[in-house]
Amino acid sequence: MHKKGLLGELIQSLCCLPGVGPKSAQRMAFHLLQRDRNRGKLLADTLLRAIDDIGYCQHCRTLTEEDLCGICANDSRDHSIVCIVESPADVWVIDQATIFRGQYFVLHGRLSPLDGLGPDELGLDLLEQRLASGSIKELILATNSTVEGEATAYFIGELAKKHQVSASRIAHGVPMGGELEFIDSGTLSHAFNGRKVI
Amino acid sequence: MKEPCKAWVLMTETAVYLQPAFILQHRKFRETSLILDVLTRDYGRVSLLARGVRKSRSKTAGLLQPFIPLAISYLGRMELKIMTNVEIIPPYHQLQGAALYSGFYINELIGFFLHKDDPHPEIFNHYRECVIDLADSSKTEAALRNFEIDLVHHAGYGLQLNYDLQHNQPLDSLKTYKFDIEQGPIEAEDGKFSGAGLQAISSREFSDPQVLVEAKRLMRTVIDSYLQGKQLKTRLIMSKIIKHTKNA
Repeated sequence: MHKKGLLGELIQSLCCLPGVGPKSAQRMAFHLLQRDRNRGKLLADTLLRAIDDIGYCQHCRTLTEEDLCGICANDSRDHSIVCIVESPADVWVIDQATIFRGQYFVLHGRLSPLDGLGPDELGLDLLEQRLASGSIKELILATNSTVEGEATAYFIGELAKKHQVSASRIAHGVPMGGELEFIDSGTLSHAFNGRKVI
Repeated sequence: MKEPCKAWVLMTETAVYLQPAFILQHRKFRETSLILDVLTRDYGRVSLLARGVRKSRSKTAGLLQPFIPLAISYLGRMELKIMTNVEIIPPYHQLQGAALYSGFYINELIGFFLHKDDPHPEIFNHYRECVIDLADSSKTEAALRNFEIDLVHHAGYGLQLNYDLQHNQPLDSLKTYKFDIEQGPIEAEDGKFSGAGLQAISSREFSDPQVLVEAKRLMRTVIDSYLQGKQLKTRLIMSKIIKHTKNA
């Protein structure tokens, strides 16, 4: 369903966003044009600036328009603890939800040998430099709880061991408020294997 | 009455119930779905679409991972089938750490040696045994060699290790041999394989570390020749990983 003209082009372009199909794209386009042209302009302007200016933090590889992101530049945070995550979105989620006050390192992916994604694609040279410099005392591995996430965590754990840095993996298991009866057996067996002494 | 009857026939010929299976590879599809490359026991390698399994309330996301023995139900006659149900088959042994990389390797081998929709129940059973053995880190090498030999054999490439066809005599444990992909072992002064080693590999006696080293060399020669110059991605990545972790 390719509509011609600028309006059609706009609707088509909006479809590139996640969760936006042709119907929602149509609503967005009409809303901006009929009701909110000023904000549409602002949106377009911000979008352009963001696409042009936002790059990767030189220290942790998260998204930022500066050389160093806000977290890395913040001196009140603990520079000796680093949390490893797969994507910049994970940095936001963890920072909002936890009391973690250290720094992050973003892999932008995970080790996935079957897709040909190896250490070089994950910027691990940069992480290794930081480990070798001796400024890091502890690594927290917060990669996803998938087979690839586990493989990535294991590999970075080995790197940490090589540089005598302690590394820990975030816990997985029964969700908060979860009833055992309704939990899938994979998660439950993982929770059993990862039980801790009280 | 005709219509429902027809629909029933249509359903039975395309529905598969609780088929023993392992997921070889999964990739994200759209917002909440996954496309799975699955090894089933009776239907070979199949591509499945698992709809809506990446939602936060999904009950199956934890199960849809490689190396977990599953029973999968699916529907459809097209190349991409729709997954309808998945259950875990206990007991299962979780692969952890280095074993995961071995697991990725055997998954890639399966992807190379087996074509889609080509059933090989024996290979499925060997795969299952291999995954169980890989969970025990002391058995890793033997498990991989066993699986490689079984896979090559059942995929239709015979592996003959007992007889020197060129000299028309059985293997002598004291002599050395070179290995030809078509003819098998051939006696040679400068051969890389020992007669005793090849005999041990043939009878799957992997308790001697030296035999394991020879078996690895042999299977690498065999597999590489079938790959015809194609590189295994898992092997490439593995060598990079070893380089990263070992150069202290």
